[in-house]
Amino acid sequence: MRVGVFICHCGSNIAGTVDVARAAAELRKVPGVAFATNYMYTCSEPGQEEIKQAIQREHLDRIVVAACSPRMHELTFRRTIEKAGLNRYFLEMANIREHISWVGLDKEANTKKAIEAIKMAVAKVMQNKPLYSSSFKVNKRVLVIGGGVAGMQAALDCGDGGLEVVLVEKSPSVGGMMARLDKTFPTIDCSICILGPKMVDVAQHDKIKLYAYSEIEDIKGYVGNYQVKIRRKATYVDWTKCTGCGLCMEKCPSKNSYDYFNFGVAPTRAINIPFPQAIPKKAKIDPNYCRQFTRGKCGVCAKICPTGAINYEMEDEIVTEDVGAIIVASGYGLIDMDKFPEYGGGRYPDVITGIQYERLLNASGPTEGHIVRPSDHTEPKTVVFVSCAGSRDKSLGIPYCSNFCCMYIAKQAILTKDHIPDSQSYVFYMDIRSPGKGYDEFTRRAQEDYGAKYIRGRVSRIYPKGKKLIVVGADTLLGTQVEIEADLVVLATAVTAAPGAAQLAEKLHISYDTFGFYVESHPKLRPVETNTSGVFLAGAAQGPKDIPASVGQGSAAASKVLALFSKDMLESDPAVAKVNENTCVGCLKCKLTCPFGAIQEKELRGGKVVASVIETVCAGCGVCTSTCPCGAIQLSHFTDNQLLAEVNAICQK
Amino acid sequence: MSLDKLKQIITDVLKDVDVVIGYKQGFDALHATPCFVTKPEQVDEIIWSPLCVQNLAGYLTSLKKKVGIVVKGCDSRTIVQYMQEGLIDRNKVVVIGIPCTGILSVKKVLEKVKHEPVEEVTFGNDGTVIVKTPSGDTKMALSEVAPDKCETCLYPTPVVYDHLADEPIASTKDPQNVFKDVEEFNKKSLEEKKKYWEKEFDRCIRCYACRNACPMCVCQDSCIAETRDPHWISQRSNLTEKMMFHMIHALHLAGRCVECGECERVCPMGIPVNKLKKKINSDMKALFGYEPGVKPEDKPPMLTFSVEEKNIEEHKL
Amino acid sequence: MSEVDPKELRIVGFLCNWCSYGGADTAGVSRFKQPTDLRIIRVPCSGRVDPLFIIKALINGADGVLVSGCHPRDCHYSDGNFYARRRLEMLKRLLPFLGIDDKRFHYTWISASEGQRWQKTVTDFTSQIHRLGPLHSGKEAQP
Repeated sequence: MRVGVFICHCGSNIAGTVDVARAAAELRKVPGVAFATNYMYTCSEPGQEEIKQAIQREHLDRIVVAACSPRMHELTFRRTIEKAGLNRYFLEMANIREHISWVGLDKEANTKKAIEAIKMAVAKVMQNKPLYSSSFKVNKRVLVIGGGVAGMQAALDCGDGGLEVVLVEKSPSVGGMMARLDKTFPTIDCSICILGPKMVDVAQHDKIKLYAYSEIEDIKGYVGNYQVKIRRKATYVDWTKCTGCGLCMEKCPSKNSYDYFNFGVAPTRAINIPFPQAIPKKAKIDPNYCRQFTRGKCGVCAKICPTGAINYEMEDEIVTEDVGAIIVASGYGLIDMDKFPEYGGGRYPDVITGIQYERLLNASGPTEGHIVRPSDHTEPKTVVFVSCAGSRDKSLGIPYCSNFCCMYIAKQAILTKDHIPDSQSYVFYMDIRSPGKGYDEFTRRAQEDYGAKYIRGRVSRIYPKGKKLIVVGADTLLGTQVEIEADLVVLATAVTAAPGAAQLAEKLHISYDTFGFYVESHPKLRPVETNTSGVFLAGAAQGPKDIPASVGQGSAAASKVLALFSKDMLESDPAVAKVNENTCVGCLKCKLTCPFGAIQEKELRGGKVVASVIETVCAGCGVCTSTCPCGAIQLSHFTDNQLLAEVNAICQK
Repeated sequence: MSLDKLKQIITDVLKDVDVVIGYKQGFDALHATPCFVTKPEQVDEIIWSPLCVQNLAGYLTSLKKKVGIVVKGCDSRTIVQYMQEGLIDRNKVVVIGIPCTGILSVKKVLEKVKHEPVEEVTFGNDGTVIVKTPSGDTKMALSEVAPDKCETCLYPTPVVYDHLADEPIASTKDPQNVFKDVEEFNKKSLEEKKKYWEKEFDRCIRCYACRNACPMCVCQDSCIAETRDPHWISQRSNLTEKMMFHMIHALHLAGRCVECGECERVCPMGIPVNKLKKKINSDMKALFGYEPGVKPEDKPPMLTFSVEEKNIEEHKL
Repeated sequence: MSEVDPKELRIVGFLCNWCSYGGADTAGVSRFKQPTDLRIIRVPCSGRVDPLFIIKALINGADGVLVSGCHPRDCHYSDGNFYARRRLEMLKRLLPFLGIDDKRFHYTWISASEGQRWQKTVTDFTSQIHRLGPLHSGKEAQP
């Protein structure tokens, strides 16, 4: 074994506080080290050339580069030694910059520490084995989870790029939250007018297969080869026969069904089409409210339906789709109003959320666009908007900002004035966050052109007085307490993770943060990738964001998938776990603990059962190796022997 | 319990299985030995008495045939632990359970008779044992010469069985006392404890009897204590390597040790091998409410996790 | 055989590649000064850390061992640190039973952005080990 050691000066970053020449001299004394030198900038072209020439000249077979962090340049140096003819896994790096030269003051102590760190790397590299990638075929179909604006954009871009797309949406129609909005800021475009065409494109695109009212049941496999089980939930209406005529909805006698689309601001019928522009425009029965299901007696819709589409016996159906990549665009949720007892949320009918107000504003909404108080259906003249209901509040566990509430409150204040010219809106705010294009001008318009009164302070309490609501708050700029007699109060409730986000993440093997939002690969440089290869993120599932940002991420995720599929074969990472079938006793503890289900049973000739690793699924965590009692399964490149070599290099009694 | 009833059960079970494992008389009056009954004629050799100390369940993982097995309460926990880990096919095992009224420790008896050759052992109904040696009869109470594990036995009746050879017996021991010995030991100073273990492990001759007798140690020939790939310990005979071996054994049994006590019974040097594993078991109980070898549907705590751990606090420096 | 400077003790650190090793890098980039005793071994996940590594280090000459991984729920491999948490807690409670002060072993969760927390952890843990002194007095009998 002939190990070559290259100690980098990194200019003065390392050489300033580490005596690199002495380190090289000490390393030359180590048995197994055939060559040790120091160089100014090892990662530069001449530096890499030095390494390649030394490998040829000195017949080196393993290389240690003592320089910056391997998280920085491990890939660089692996390529260097590969070009010189060595297997790329015969490289180890000793981090003597981030961990030593930059954090220690004493040159003597630093040099000693550097020498030991390099000796550890030498001990490890002497245990390294060559590893070889294998290629595997990739299935060029993509699954998009979530049919909101981000998911639809991703699906359209993938479809236009020539890929087959499977789009799964949990509610009966695509459109997500944007379909519920009346107008969008800052242009006051009609939301469904700009979204509608996208929804139709998705439905009519020859490459997009839409599963509405369906959820992800199970996902197996690995990047390039996923098998996805989709649960098509029972709608009790045969959608191949339903024409969306709406007769059933007109005649249904059960009128107090909870309306999911309208966030409960008004009831709907037990059989309904969620909104006029719904896609697919098909009816669905809610069995919790349908009299046929709850009382066993009704059947009006079945009699009325001109195509005989009603089927009370329908059951959920599981279908399987094979795909090669997954884009998660599962959207967001909103905090429940009952978290604000001091505002009477959930108790007073005239205290509603921003999205409920949006439904009142919407001409296709339950009140046909007439803003009315839910309690007595009269027109409100004084409307109070409360920003940050839940957001930026550590006591509720929501320390973050919900991104778009400042903007939509300004929009809703403007629209209120449009609908009710003699109304007066008040907005209680902490800060006004309007960073986008035209956003700040928009929030100013609300105040300057539409007369909305902005009060900088928080609301402490809301209580009813006769038919009105008294809103008690602070005006910090004036330094006084304020009380407003409101007819209607709109709370800008905090954005949360979508319901069921954690369960979906577990099926996908992706991480989520404390708040339930999915974790991206790098917060700055890789916002739409996850650490699980083949799974990408788009939209508010990754964190609260507005429509342009969601659309942007939808397209970004699609471009990542298109790049992934640009080759027919993918290379697997060879640093995966391997089983020594001679020593494996078949206890299968590794199979039990593998977070990715990458281990299966294998029967050898003679009947002995051993463990076997599916190399393409193995992510390289090493839990199997630390679980295995007989050391039969080892994570390549981080085997017990390799780590023990490092431990032994440090601890010598 | 009538020996005839046990023999009858074994004869019946033998019709459905390839072999029934029970106990027969050993090489002298003080020892019983495992008996592999394959023919009905062998059933007469079967015995049952406080001499039946071995944990026969350890054979199950290496037998591929259909097996009948005689187990005491403590032995049956091994079978349940095997079920939790998927190491046996429950359909291939017929469990003949015997509610246990106590066994003896051969080492303790030999101490009492000053290691003289034992000619005869008789058991009285009042819990007495009379041991006959060349110098005469020595009388002792069974409770005096019982192994330590019987002192805290919570499961005299097997926790799993297909046939029960007698009426079930309830435990008379207080569950709070199970870990009293490790709690008392832990109260000593760090220095005292360190010296204690150094003294105990230094006596170890790395015969691996404890590992071989342990029913949960299924790795046997692949054991990392004796291999160079991976190279955890060397064959050097010093305290460091010996201690490392015992740590490997104890940590690999974390949350799996059913406290059958075989390890201590077979150690030729009298090292308290079970103590470390018992300490870990007390932590498994405190942290996860887990007791090895009691419920087949449980999952060994070191092989699973909870997203929220109620009893693990983040450590601050 | 490396001689231990009496000013320095031997502390071994097992850091997970995705979070804690990144946190140590972040501390380096921000030039947060730390004592030099610690020697870092990179592992892909805190779940890779077999408790036996810690025992091996302690009984073979280390005076202290530090393990750091991603915060529970943020593991790059989803569940690795959940296993680590259980196994390392078990080990921590076992050490005093063996006569080894459990303050010589510390496990914690540090993310890639927490450079300052890394600096504090290394500084505080090194001080703690120095207060406890060397684990091995050198009076051990060798064959």
